[in-house]
Amino acid sequence: MPPIGEYGLLGDTRTAALVSADGSMDWFCVPRFDGEPVFGRLVGGTAAGAFRLGPRLPAPVVQRRYRGNTATLETTWAVGEARLTLTEAMVAEVAGRMLPASLLLRRLTVENAPVEAVVHFDPRLGERHRAPRVSRRGHGLVCQWGSLAISLACDADVRIEPGRSTSVTVTPDRPVTLVMAVAFREPLIHVDPAAAWDLVVEDEARWRAWCAEIDSDLPFRKSVVRSLLTLRLLTYSPSGAPVAAPTTSLPEHPGGIRNWDYRYAWPRDASIGIAAFLGAGKLDEAHLFLGWLLHASRLQRPRLPVLFTLDGRHAPPERTLTGWPGFARSVPVRVGNAAAEQHQLDGYGWVVDAAWVLVKARQRLHSETWRVMRGFADLVARHWREPDAGIWEIRAEPAQHVHSKLMGWLALDRALRIAETHGTRPDQRRRWLDARDAIAADVRAHGLDPVHNRYTRSYGSADLDAAVLVLPLLGIEDARSPRVTGTVDAIRKELSAGGPLLYRYLPGSDGLRGGEGAFLPCSFWLVQALALTGRRAEAFGLFTELLRYVSPLGLLPEEIDPATGAYLGNYPQALTHAALVQASLALRASGPDADSLLERRQRRAASAANHQRRSRAPMSR
Amino acid sequence: MGWAVFGLAATAALTAIMIAAQMGGLSRLDLPLVLGMVLTGDPDRARVVGFFVHLGAGQGFALGYGAAFVLLDRATWWLGALLGLLHAAVALTVLLPLLPGVHPRMASHRAGPRSTAVLEPPGLLGLNYGIQTPVVAIVAHLAYGTMLGLLLQVR
Repeated sequence: MPPIGEYGLLGDTRTAALVSADGSMDWFCVPRFDGEPVFGRLVGGTAAGAFRLGPRLPAPVVQRRYRGNTATLETTWAVGEARLTLTEAMVAEVAGRMLPASLLLRRLTVENAPVEAVVHFDPRLGERHRAPRVSRRGHGLVCQWGSLAISLACDADVRIEPGRSTSVTVTPDRPVTLVMAVAFREPLIHVDPAAAWDLVVEDEARWRAWCAEIDSDLPFRKSVVRSLLTLRLLTYSPSGAPVAAPTTSLPEHPGGIRNWDYRYAWPRDASIGIAAFLGAGKLDEAHLFLGWLLHASRLQRPRLPVLFTLDGRHAPPERTLTGWPGFARSVPVRVGNAAAEQHQLDGYGWVVDAAWVLVKARQRLHSETWRVMRGFADLVARHWREPDAGIWEIRAEPAQHVHSKLMGWLALDRALRIAETHGTRPDQRRRWLDARDAIAADVRAHGLDPVHNRYTRSYGSADLDAAVLVLPLLGIEDARSPRVTGTVDAIRKELSAGGPLLYRYLPGSDGLRGGEGAFLPCSFWLVQALALTGRRAEAFGLFTELLRYVSPLGLLPEEIDPATGAYLGNYPQALTHAALVQASLALRASGPDADSLLERRQRRAASAANHQRRSRAPMSR
Repeated sequence: MGWAVFGLAATAALTAIMIAAQMGGLSRLDLPLVLGMVLTGDPDRARVVGFFVHLGAGQGFALGYGAAFVLLDRATWWLGALLGLLHAAVALTVLLPLLPGVHPRMASHRAGPRSTAVLEPPGLLGLNYGIQTPVVAIVAHLAYGTMLGLLLQVR
């Protein structure tokens, strides 16, 4: 299989596909992100199906990019003197029109000379790789599995057989366009390839306009825009649920057992997303996440489950897919997520903080929203002393995690701040105040390493936890105090995985077999922490270093193998992209001349490089 | 006038069961909110407006139940319950799934990035609002029909 980082993302905000650099669509679930895969080769091997469109013989990729600020992916191969380009996209806006809920377009064009291309269309449904019942409608092909049907239309005179490779000649004056439509529990809608191309062009214009609305003064704006666009593609539009990642079981350690299903929505991600979108000037998306949070959490209130399905149901029980070989032989391949059963105190902090972010932005909370937040704060005030699974969803006995306690403090602190402008009973405020102060005292008594004066991972332990990098954001301590800066420095040093990379905790300290990579969101949290503790230059430097790990398409995984730089974990990862945006927002907030600082750094780097070249020159003569 | 008074009582019972189910964490279906958000985007106002819309709709349906009793020339609790069951079946399989097509603030399963809708589509049988939603809806409508069957009389 190609490396994870070689895959590009296609999406329509209802489901998504991953396409490798050789034009193979190796992951595509229908009818939505958490549906069954019809192309599952990524973790299911060749028997799980794929849809390849590209040069017949191996050819080098000369360019791979998204077309500007859009979701249209373009891959160009050099085939002799010719250039073969695959342009592909899913149509996002289909509501209100006679269009299928999922519509994929893939178009091959060439320059200079005709090229032999290949179409390999092999849809296989679900765990058992069920082959479809195939029928033909003119040039089109219809594959059916009960209530699911997929049609494939092509504007070239070519007969495509599922499971077999078909050659097609692409000439400069005649592109080849394939259109795949999906119907689930409704009739198939056939779309003419030319009409589908027009829809993609319309979508592109909409994405460009969407991106143009993002604040123009954000440091590293290009990466931020791609991250926000990726976050939007990973948001399930029918409910507003943020999907953690479109994949399951991409390994956190190649060949290892740390393979989880991330095709669900975590309230934590929604809360971080609210702050990220709001900070970048996208108010509608922030409200979409808040709306989903309120809707999804309604059944269990005031308890906040760790994760939900896209429509707010309890995630299905975790199980393994029999016979699936996994990515790089990493088994088991799991569906469902057992973390849904855990208690994680930090979730409440993220959610109430998101409400506070909205209030700070002069958005008044509806009384229902405030009622929900009060319920969360009450629950934290009652239960903060209990051990929990923590942000890292450790599958062992619950513990007294320092990060969880800090986030409990955050929930109560932000509830108290909101209460200053929103109606609250005095006795309720007093309870929150007492509990908030009790948490602060408790964490200082048990969560501080007395020798080094820094916050630890859990009570009574000297270990560190990179999640505690949120410390300068909270306000429980002065952000520039020796205790806060000391904790940040200790994490940076002792959890370093080399360069700008950090482990989330000491490898091997989570009770699971095998190691894992560096956890990328933590590095962006470090950028944020440095920016907020008055070390803006360092923060800029670190962010610049981290950009080396962004894929050429602007996508990021959950983890990086520090030894090889290979991507690990489910991909692309919403939390990492949201953390990147947060880091940029922190850099912007840390000073008005942030961009000019970057320019100065770049000028200095260029000047240093010139100086080196000049100083080397005499020696080489 | 009987149908109006008893319609009000039966709708109140139906609403009470739905609200109790919501409070008890059985379903996210909030009919006053769903109906009210046709008219306003503020959920707090929507609930008030929707409550009265719901009461009005309940009256309309009570009139239909009354007409059915007259046609069948009898009004009994079990006949009311049967009509309630039919009513729930139509609501769950036809009305709720069709709602995204006409509701201005409800997304559909085709919603895309332009969608700023705030209500999630209920899906078939309202299952997106919780797995027990169909049961809650059936119980509420059984109560509604049974009450009307007991209270209305055919002369």
